Amino acid sequence: MRFFSWFIKGYAISLFVVLVLFSTSAKAGGIVKIGVAGPFSGPVAAFGDQFWRGAEQAAHDINANGGVAGKKILLVRGDDSCEPKQALSVANRLVDLEEVNAVMGHFCSSTTVTASEIYADAGLLMITPASTNPMVTERGLPTIFRTTGRDDQQGTVAANFVVDKLHAKRVAIIHDKTTYGLGLAEAFKARLNTLGVTQVLFDGLTRGEKDFNALVTKVKGKHADVVYFGGIHNEAGPFARQLKEQGVSAPMVSGDGIVSDEFVLSAGGPGYAEGVYMTFGADPRKIPAGASVVAGYRKRGIEPEGYTLYSYATIQVIAAAMVGSGTTTDGEKMAEWLHNNSVDTIMGKKSWDAKGDLTILDYVMYRWDDKGGYGEVE
Amino acid sequence: MDLIIVGQQLVNGLVLGSIYGLIAVGYTMVYGIIGMINFAHGEVYMISAYLSAIFLAIITSMGVVSVPFALLLVLVVTIFVTAIYGWSIERVAYRPLRGSTRLAPLISAIGISLVLQNYVRIGQGAKSQGVPPLIDGSFRFHLGSPDSFIQITMIQCLIIVASLIGMGALHYLMQKTALGRACRATQQDRTMARLLGVDTDKVISIVFVLGSAMAAIAGVLVTLNYGSFDFHIGFVTGIKAFTAAVLGGIGSLPGAMLGGLVLGLSESFFSGFINTDYKDVFAFSILVLVLIFKPSGLLGVAEVEKV
Amino acid sequence: MKKAIKDSILTGLVAFLVFGPISGLVLSGYSIEVHAERPLIMAVVVALGRFVFALLADSSHGLKLSAAIFGRRDGGVTVASGEPTLSPLLYLAVFAAFFLPFLLSKYWLGVAILALIYVLLALGLNIVVGLAGLLDLGFVAFYAVGAYGYALGSQYFDLGFWSAIPFGAFLAACFGMVLGFPVLRMHGDYLAIVTLGFGEIIRLVLNNWVSFTGGPSGVFVQAPTLFGLEFSRRAKFGGEPFHKFFDIAYSSSYKTMFLYFVLLLLVVAITFFVVRLRSMPLGRAWEALREDEVACRSLGINHVTTKLSAFAMGAMVGGLGGVFFAASQGFVNPASFTFFESALILAIVVLGGLGSTVGVIVAAIILTVFPELLREWSQYRILLFGVAMVLMMVWRPRGLVRPKRPFFAIRGQK
Repeated sequence: MRFFSWFIKGYAISLFVVLVLFSTSAKAGGIVKIGVAGPFSGPVAAFGDQFWRGAEQAAHDINANGGVAGKKILLVRGDDSCEPKQALSVANRLVDLEEVNAVMGHFCSSTTVTASEIYADAGLLMITPASTNPMVTERGLPTIFRTTGRDDQQGTVAANFVVDKLHAKRVAIIHDKTTYGLGLAEAFKARLNTLGVTQVLFDGLTRGEKDFNALVTKVKGKHADVVYFGGIHNEAGPFARQLKEQGVSAPMVSGDGIVSDEFVLSAGGPGYAEGVYMTFGADPRKIPAGASVVAGYRKRGIEPEGYTLYSYATIQVIAAAMVGSGTTTDGEKMAEWLHNNSVDTIMGKKSWDAKGDLTILDYVMYRWDDKGGYGEVE
Repeated sequence: MDLIIVGQQLVNGLVLGSIYGLIAVGYTMVYGIIGMINFAHGEVYMISAYLSAIFLAIITSMGVVSVPFALLLVLVVTIFVTAIYGWSIERVAYRPLRGSTRLAPLISAIGISLVLQNYVRIGQGAKSQGVPPLIDGSFRFHLGSPDSFIQITMIQCLIIVASLIGMGALHYLMQKTALGRACRATQQDRTMARLLGVDTDKVISIVFVLGSAMAAIAGVLVTLNYGSFDFHIGFVTGIKAFTAAVLGGIGSLPGAMLGGLVLGLSESFFSGFINTDYKDVFAFSILVLVLIFKPSGLLGVAEVEKV
Repeated sequence: MKKAIKDSILTGLVAFLVFGPISGLVLSGYSIEVHAERPLIMAVVVALGRFVFALLADSSHGLKLSAAIFGRRDGGVTVASGEPTLSPLLYLAVFAAFFLPFLLSKYWLGVAILALIYVLLALGLNIVVGLAGLLDLGFVAFYAVGAYGYALGSQYFDLGFWSAIPFGAFLAACFGMVLGFPVLRMHGDYLAIVTLGFGEIIRLVLNNWVSFTGGPSGVFVQAPTLFGLEFSRRAKFGGEPFHKFFDIAYSSSYKTMFLYFVLLLLVVAITFFVVRLRSMPLGRAWEALREDEVACRSLGINHVTTKLSAFAMGAMVGGLGGVFFAASQGFVNPASFTFFESALILAIVVLGGLGSTVGVIVAAIILTVFPELLREWSQYRILLFGVAMVLMMVWRPRGLVRPKRPFFAIRGQK
């Protein structure tokens, strides 16, 4: 018993000393830290590269024009490998260790949904340039925004296309069980059913695998005339290839998870990727406001494909919110400003509704060609 | 049940099973001879997939146009370099631990598999890589209408044939040659084999080399078949192949092949006819059930406990 | 000397062959970029290393040096007499641990929590592998059961943190028993494989049962509360936030601190429990069973209950680890429960010295804090971790700390 009283006394005294000694802490000024969180490693690292290219260029351009209210932007990279668990630790690191002022990210919907809880709790502004799952903004978190569309819109565009243009009667729907893939597949299914077509198959595959032959045979057995895939290029590639190899002539339709050259690579060549349809925002490279930026990228030998320009625009939005709200630390004030104002970006004028979704959206259908590129379907 | 679909799933399962079998050989041989689970073996297979793509790119850029010749060259070089990988892994991570506790090599093997995975990730990048389609063509067996057929592609044929030849050659090597006798002697009693003049260290090295060579064959063929791969493929396939080895009775070569086929077929039939999501659960459940009722696997020899 | 040079050149050559293709020839699309300098540098480094080792082995000084480094590699067991005692250093360490929350930033406190969770897991696995000698490669299953027990419990039955602790532990113990029954007959590696399969099955079910567990996207966990006070900025579940109740400014670290204290108390209690258990009949039966099962059975030890209790006990502690993991992360998904996690826990137990409680605790802390320190080299983090695992095994195959075996004298016969 004596041990315990000694313990408690010692504890109380030391506690007091420690608290007095370490009670002050100061924050650095002069710079604005923006976290860039995305998959910089792992299976979808290609999208992480797109993120970084966009964000880096935007920060560079803004800093060259005097920065954010005189402060320079410093980007902090956070790698989540498209994995919710990693995203959580990245979010904690960005908030607690790096003490960033705002976050651009994440890429995969599952990581965005997870990490946004941390940012919202810390009162930080988070804008995702790529996560399309409705859950990102549906939870009513005040500081969470996106500069891209939603899966319900994407699924609608895809389902309309499948029914009106492809005249499909038997549709097989495959997803990868993730927040993004399953969400997209369900959004597609919902619209499809409203249009009076019921799917002949709704099944999931496992991320990380390469052999989908058994599933492809199943699709074949259902005599589907369109195959819809909700997922990312790593699985979409081999799946598309095995569909063709087994002689399934039904076209494959997918979403914005495959808009990268790597889709062609993982399919095993342009021959297998040809004829695959996908929904994606109207090509941001064709918007006049961003012409000079696009030209700048091309001069350096980089094609600003996929989400590169989205992330450029996102950094612009964050900077504008900081300038407009007059604070670089209070995410809730920035959020309030964004709800009431619109921002001129290289992708045109953007404004947000009460949830944090864009007010104007523009999904269109693309088709991969036999040279490994993609073009809009007229 | 549609006959076509059943036939097609049979083909899918056989191909998958042959791949598992080829990789399972590496596990079963190493386990047989030094009683350790070589967790790094799946990563050796992954490395061989990268090697084959690299060598294929070199050979095509040198202007070799004959596909069979290029393929043969790639196969030989990949087997050679992968075998060196197997040899060095044993030399660096397992040999210093010989004669220590049973768990030490296991941990070391897990360490090595982390090293290999991340070495490839850093060296080659995290994105998935691919090879251009090389072999086209397939056999189609029509049943009734022209739209319904069972198909087997050339590469799939090649996978099944190559695994049969590989297993046959290995079986012959083990049963009929002096090297095979030395291997079996070392397997039965290492100390006694050494006393009788068998260089057991060398034999163990050779086993690692042979196992890696078989994994390399699998690596080359799988790369050609699926056209793409990344640094993650070693783990999942490795675990499955290992399961196949145990299923067939670890330590037994025909068992590895049998285990691979059982696993491949059950996976493809289960996912084709019952449920795609739970095919792996089904595979592991089979493993657990077989081990409960026949603890030494399908073709394994039961251990007799001496008191 | 001549042999040393020849050896190192040969080694360098092999190293070049091994490193050459993967790091020197980088795939880009369907063609190759050549970086010849990378494998060359690596090969030279390896050759030089080999040369230094060969020189060391040649000279008497070198032999002495290597004996000093690698000398104690046989390890072994120390038999301690009397009551098991813990060194004063340990008391001091526990005492110091109570101050960490006030010294560390929130981020490092999170790391400390993770370290304590791994201490729990390692203590649990140590019961199964270290004491009872049952090689378990699927220990992560119980970790997952604990974590999902809390997460799903809070989602479907509104289970709170405090009731989740016993619930998670109980659920995990049940799973331990369920696994224990079929594997009673198995030995050694077959046991290892079945447990591995079991671990994978649990993970796969969690991953695929999307409608119940949320699949790969995971489940959010209700945050822990203290007497109904919540630690979030705004009350989410109808309670009152902690900072409002005490009328202090909001800080997100209160929750972390609170979890840390609860966890630390639990770890201390479990450690005490495990240490005491070893000198109780049950613990002694485990160790006896590990040494010789046949002898034990002929001496009348019920091997069924002994093995099952080891599984249940280990699983229970692992399940507790899971509950705290879920509470500290606020979110669980199947990716946290892969085979790698099992391997990591096993590595901790082996590195700590099978059966040594203190060693296992030290190893758990090292193996969780070390990778965090490497965050700076995030690219090479796991690579270095793997290298460290191999080197550690080569250096100390029996672990860092020599296990102490308690010795019991029959009264009156000293």
